[in-house]
Amino acid sequence: VTTRIVRTVREFEGTSVDVVVLVDDSDEGLGEWPVDAALSVVGRSQSRVDGPVKVSGRARYTVDLALPGMLHAAALRSPVAGGKVAHLDLEGARTAPGVRAVLGPDDAIGSGSVRALFTELEYVGQPIAVLAADTPAQADSALAAFALRVEPGWFSVDLMRSLYDQRFVSEPIEEARGDSEAALARSDVTVALELETPAQLQTAFEPHAALADWRPDGLTVYLSTQSMFWARAELARALGIAQDEIRVVSEYVGGGFGGKLGAGWEPLVAAELSRRAGRPVRVANNRHDEQLTGGHRAWQRQTVRLGASREGRLTAIEHDTVAAMGVTPRPVPFRMVPMTLYRCDAVTARTFPVKLNLRGVNAFRAPGAVEATTAFEQAMDELAAALEIDPLQLRRINHADTDQRTGKPYSRKALLACYDRAAELAGWADREALRADRADGLLRGMGCASQIWGGGGGPPAQATVRLGGDGAATVVTGVQDPGTGTLTAVRTVAAEELGIPIERIRVRGGDTVPNLIGPAAGGSQTTGSIMPAVRQAAIKVRTKLLDLAAERFELAPADLEVRDGRLRSRDRVLDEPYTVVLAELGDSTLEAAGARLPNITDASINTFGCQIAQVVVDPGLGTVVVERIVAVHDVGRIINPLTATSQVEGGILQSLGFALCEERVLDPTLGAPTNSTLDDYKLPTIADVPEIVIDFVGAPDLSANATGAKGLGEPPAIPTCAAIANAFAHATGRRCTALPLTPKRVLECLA
Amino acid sequence: MRVEIGVNGQTHAFDVEPGRRLSSLLRDELGLTGTKVVCGEGACGACAVLLDGIAVNSCLVMAGMADGRSVVTIEGLGRDGLTPVQEAFVKEDALQCGFCTPGQIISATALLADNAHPSREDIRRAMAGNLCRCGAYPKIERAILAAAGS
Repeated sequence: VTTRIVRTVREFEGTSVDVVVLVDDSDEGLGEWPVDAALSVVGRSQSRVDGPVKVSGRARYTVDLALPGMLHAAALRSPVAGGKVAHLDLEGARTAPGVRAVLGPDDAIGSGSVRALFTELEYVGQPIAVLAADTPAQADSALAAFALRVEPGWFSVDLMRSLYDQRFVSEPIEEARGDSEAALARSDVTVALELETPAQLQTAFEPHAALADWRPDGLTVYLSTQSMFWARAELARALGIAQDEIRVVSEYVGGGFGGKLGAGWEPLVAAELSRRAGRPVRVANNRHDEQLTGGHRAWQRQTVRLGASREGRLTAIEHDTVAAMGVTPRPVPFRMVPMTLYRCDAVTARTFPVKLNLRGVNAFRAPGAVEATTAFEQAMDELAAALEIDPLQLRRINHADTDQRTGKPYSRKALLACYDRAAELAGWADREALRADRADGLLRGMGCASQIWGGGGGPPAQATVRLGGDGAATVVTGVQDPGTGTLTAVRTVAAEELGIPIERIRVRGGDTVPNLIGPAAGGSQTTGSIMPAVRQAAIKVRTKLLDLAAERFELAPADLEVRDGRLRSRDRVLDEPYTVVLAELGDSTLEAAGARLPNITDASINTFGCQIAQVVVDPGLGTVVVERIVAVHDVGRIINPLTATSQVEGGILQSLGFALCEERVLDPTLGAPTNSTLDDYKLPTIADVPEIVIDFVGAPDLSANATGAKGLGEPPAIPTCAAIANAFAHATGRRCTALPLTPKRVLECLA
Repeated sequence: MRVEIGVNGQTHAFDVEPGRRLSSLLRDELGLTGTKVVCGEGACGACAVLLDGIAVNSCLVMAGMADGRSVVTIEGLGRDGLTPVQEAFVKEDALQCGFCTPGQIISATALLADNAHPSREDIRRAMAGNLCRCGAYPKIERAILAAAGS
């Protein structure tokens, strides 16, 4: 076995990252699943591997875990959006009943390189101090013993005022090709659109939570995270200990949606409290704190200007985004949509990352792209109206054959097929008939939107497969499954290559031990990263099984196959259960590892799609009901249709919430969110669910990886809101300048 | 105060402060962590349990209110295997992260006990108090229809 070093790239949320990969030659030459491969397990619906344990209430999430001697933490948080701590009685808290450890702003956490507690207060909910006590009630009660007094200070939660004040959290960015200003002036037709989109809260139902147990031989952290390995690396840096001294366990994760990438605050303080108290410490947000500090999609104001020729070719694009970033900078792919969605030679996209006295923005399912698509695709519909061109036809005319940013070809792109199929499923040709006056006085309309995103994944990602003498196999990975169905897909891929019944395959993830690196569950990169590694490991184990059988039956390995649990010779003379050759293994196992191979660098790997929404608006009540969403996406091969459609439905429904009801409301005089509970932060319910029609088009993307499968977590969330807003405009002839489309806004818009 | 509550067929006695919630008794005293607390204010249904056969949000039930009554949690359903509702949830993939799932199944069980053949509209009305952030709703509806055999 030899290893060589390959430099490649992987994309994460619109950003290309250079990666050095150690390629083991045993991982190469294992072929691929051709476009027309006759697969017997992959592509057929498999029920979720963790379904039975979840429906019976036996799945233990981080918040459900208890260790002997465990302490419970409570955090003292800033009640003001600006100011400083005037008085804090740490000693009082230390001597409160049941309290075992206290951390204040001056206490070093780990190596002291990271600040987790603050005296200069910049947003409501910012942590000031934290303590750990014997019971949750004692911990909560002891917070009063801090006797906190604050000196309120200046703050701003006003997006436009902070923009005028040039108060940025990082430098504004301008990305351009060509001269959009000149091109706009020369265009036959121009349109402009302004739109305000709200802060949307991830609202994972399991809050951010950590249980840390720091012992002399190392630190174990049970963590509700989407990225165990990022969390481990972050903790190692912050705490000043080696990564191998830390074990992160995330067996069941109650949702994340981007808000649980990285370690976050909770495990950091849990670990330090555990070190000081010598006992395990549990830190878990209550719902109010989760809604306050768990994160959000950035509140934004966008301006889009488009220019086109009379034939409908885009001649100029200008797209400005003013984004409320909160108090900390973060790279968000705000410009991906204007720069790459359509063919255009003169584009300027600007990002103004405004600093406001709010918790810093974090990732939320296709961050930047959901919001940008919502504005940009509405401008495209305005352009279609100005040109009197069918909106889908306008999108076809401006199809980008190559990556407009890099000039590279796409590995595969079936967006045109998405348009055709979505139009067919939605009855697009008859959309004008929807607008006919009806006796019920309701207004109906249909709108579309396109989707572009990454999702190719890449190295590093590792897996091992073990097949024992009893015929049972175990696949071990370092991925976490926050409800995505990843581990079920892992099992499906392994079953395909091992040729044994899927029920005989166990899958493991959610643990950084035994150090099999897996991707974060973010950026739609899990499938494209881990599935090829699992496939390679399974092929190697199958090869060993066939070698064993060849030796036993005195046949050539090439004359043997294992499928549906049967070992067969090509001539069918041999046809035995696969276990027949395993029985003599005894305690030995057939075992192999697989590692994701490098990405190609001469093409862009992306996902595409089109959604069409049909809505009905009550002009008297201002209500908007989404009747149907047609979603057609091109994400390569679908490994498990059952869980894939669940991902699509989930993405659509979160963005339906973004379109219709979800909005963090701020009190401008206090700088505090006024709806940090589920009673008044409105999530869609089952009664809001439209008919959802799903299809996948496009062939497996074998340039992306040997399975041909790409990510699907984020793509379906991207075009939904734009399609709904376009359907609303089609129905009413008006466009709301702010979302969500609440009855109040709709009535104002229609007045 | 002292309360006696039947939980999954067994009577448990507790000495509790009056403000103690049933959800906390189940989770913290009995280790029945299948009952989830998400909003803590009766807005999401994740903590639903059957109280004398009626689905209630256990975060809004004080311990004293449950005194002398009988509670069935998710762990108490189908102790000899999965119930038809649980099986249908698995088969139809009516769950993603799974955190709201116990509450969904309790509410669906109560619905079907009350109305063996609910229409789609019946399901939407009965289940609207059970939020699911992952958006498993379409398949929850399908699973309940499947469990009802309609």
